[in-house]
Amino acid sequence: MELRLDPDLQTFRTEVRAFIDSVLPAEMKERQRRKVANNAAVPDLLEWMRILNAHGRSVPHWPVEFGGCGWTPMQLFIFNEELYKADAPEFDWGGTHMLGPVLYTYGSGYLKDRFLPMIREGATMWAQGFSEPGSGSDLASLRTSAELVGDKYIVNGQKIWTSGAAHADWGFFLVRTDKNVKPQRGISFLIIKMDTPGVTVRQIPQINGEAHLCEVFLDNVEVPADQLIGEPGMGWTYAKFLLEHERTTSSFIYWSKRELARAKDIALGEMTGGRRVADDPAFRARFARAEADLLALEWSVLRVLAHEEFDAPEAAAASVLKIRGSELQQEITMLQVDALGAKALRFFDVAPAPPPAPTDVWADYAPGRTTVALINRAATIYGGSKQIQKNILAKLAFGL
Amino acid sequence: MDFAKSDIQTMLLDSAERLLSENADVEYWRHQRSSATGFDEARWMQFAELGWLALPVPEAAGGLDGTIEDIALLNIALGKALATEPYISTIVLAGHVLKQSADEARALDLLGEVAGGTLRIALAHQENGAHPLDVEVTGTSARRSDDGYIVSGTKIMAFDAPSAGQLIVSARLEGEEGVGLFLVPADAPGLSVESYALVDGTRASDIVLADVTLPSAALLIGGNRGAAVLREAIDRASIALMAQAVGAMEAANKVCGAYVQERKQFGVAIGSFQAIQHIMADNFVAAHQARSMLYHALANADEDEATRSAALSAARLVIGEAGQTVSRNGIQVHGGYGLTDEYAIGHYFRRLMCMEKQYGDLIQHGERFGDSIFG
Repeated sequence: MELRLDPDLQTFRTEVRAFIDSVLPAEMKERQRRKVANNAAVPDLLEWMRILNAHGRSVPHWPVEFGGCGWTPMQLFIFNEELYKADAPEFDWGGTHMLGPVLYTYGSGYLKDRFLPMIREGATMWAQGFSEPGSGSDLASLRTSAELVGDKYIVNGQKIWTSGAAHADWGFFLVRTDKNVKPQRGISFLIIKMDTPGVTVRQIPQINGEAHLCEVFLDNVEVPADQLIGEPGMGWTYAKFLLEHERTTSSFIYWSKRELARAKDIALGEMTGGRRVADDPAFRARFARAEADLLALEWSVLRVLAHEEFDAPEAAAASVLKIRGSELQQEITMLQVDALGAKALRFFDVAPAPPPAPTDVWADYAPGRTTVALINRAATIYGGSKQIQKNILAKLAFGL
Repeated sequence: MDFAKSDIQTMLLDSAERLLSENADVEYWRHQRSSATGFDEARWMQFAELGWLALPVPEAAGGLDGTIEDIALLNIALGKALATEPYISTIVLAGHVLKQSADEARALDLLGEVAGGTLRIALAHQENGAHPLDVEVTGTSARRSDDGYIVSGTKIMAFDAPSAGQLIVSARLEGEEGVGLFLVPADAPGLSVESYALVDGTRASDIVLADVTLPSAALLIGGNRGAAVLREAIDRASIALMAQAVGAMEAANKVCGAYVQERKQFGVAIGSFQAIQHIMADNFVAAHQARSMLYHALANADEDEATRSAALSAARLVIGEAGQTVSRNGIQVHGGYGLTDEYAIGHYFRRLMCMEKQYGDLIQHGERFGDSIFG
């Protein structure tokens, strides 16, 4: 048992930190740091992918033959941590972390050749079309149908919570190709171009002023049959693979570490009754608890990365990461909001960029905190709600 | 980073499994609680035979020179079995003080006795109203005499003192800086001892020292090193304590998992109800995070004092609360049976409550961690 970090990793960290510092444009970094919206602006996101790609680091976690860096899980962990710490735009996770691994694992040569470079080079934004109005936690009940007619699938149905669909060039969809088998067996994984006739996207106004979540209506959409990934009827298996492949992503550990540091800055910067918010014993106790919990989460991530053996199926650890990761995102965003006190109530619109210039009263950390905290209630809902995760845990860990 | 166990760790855990699993039940615990010392002295000698008592002892004293990870793994096993033996006080805490003491030859002799199972040592440091993480002593003083020291003061809640042959007493050295750590025979003239049981069946003593006369050699560590060594020793005790808590939580979860499958209401196992399933999921999450924090504390155990104590207090915060979550929820899913002395969960509950409050409680560790963040 060796719990100390390999000293070589410190050298690696220094190297990637210097690398990010040298390639991340200062204005882009500043836009990211001060953005009011929860999500990065699409142009920055794609530009950043192109910059990383120029250095062979846009999809470091992929196999080397498809453009990966051949790094160990710990090196990837450090690279991601440094990206977030540096306020780099996030990856377009849909492409790089969800579709990409499914494609290179199950996709045909044609699909790999066509789409992997597009993702790697930051040429496209991707939408994930899984949930439907009637199929949230019960995803296997999804009804969007794809009927094979000649060499095309004819797709009809409706998707919802399709993040970023309004800006996406392509989407990957779970569709029903067979209605006569067990629900999970009849699902397939289909790539659809978002400007295909019959695809309509409606942005959904959110409680934080953004409209990132979308509805996607599919009305007799014709999709070339060779855009179906792998075998028909295997979509459910691929979707499960996708979720299990990214077991540690749902922890949001890198994001939460950066945001907790920001909560600390706010608590040190804001005064109440002549003292710093950080010096209020109740606030300090809550902050200490969140930081300790975040350390626990980080070690739980490291345990998964190192494939530690423990007394339950490995997938149980993934549910722990999702539950604690989402709860901590919410606690940390609320620490930011509560450190701002009533100032957190001011509504900052996501539309005008950049946000208003900081003043003595309104520090540059104020805009965006509440916007993010409001939409962050989603963290315990998407990707398998907290309740579903607890059902899974009870089954995996206790056989209930 | 590697979580795989070394050969010695595997051997240790195998022997722990063999010896402890046969006596990890309510009948055994109830029997021990009513015994003279609160634990089985014959089993303590088996600990010695298996080398467990020699684990942190240097090779020069016939020990195994084990790492803090080795100690933690063994203590996870002790915690699973709710062992009440004074392992932490004697082996981890006093063992560390002895290893650091000035007179190396004498320390090795004492450590040899400890490793052999013939000597147990308890720390008498806590004073009424003092902060448990504060090593500066105010209520106990040592003044020099012609051929040694005369020590006076009052200590409370010296864990495992009733079964110890020697005490390590902390005292302010009159006319000098720092804290002195004295080795005091438990039967020294001038000591009056009131012993009692804690709610988990372990024992403790309140001790009054009235002009206790000690030879010079009784001062194990003095001057400016005393406080630092005491802090290290208490921090190491905390790590072992957390390891026992992790073991206890994981075992309590097993007990509860089995109970909710066996207990039927409305014609079905109560574990089929989602309300119960979610409580069990919460318990799994809590115990899992607790183990993660034990690793965090271990990874920082040999860092500088500020880093070490911050990591340790963060871990005590998470583990202390996780222990309460697991055992309180555990009682809840047991219903009325959880409140009886005849079901294991109530024993885990009481032990985890004790572990949350020894060597600093949740609030005190939370404060110390908060101070480390904001200064």
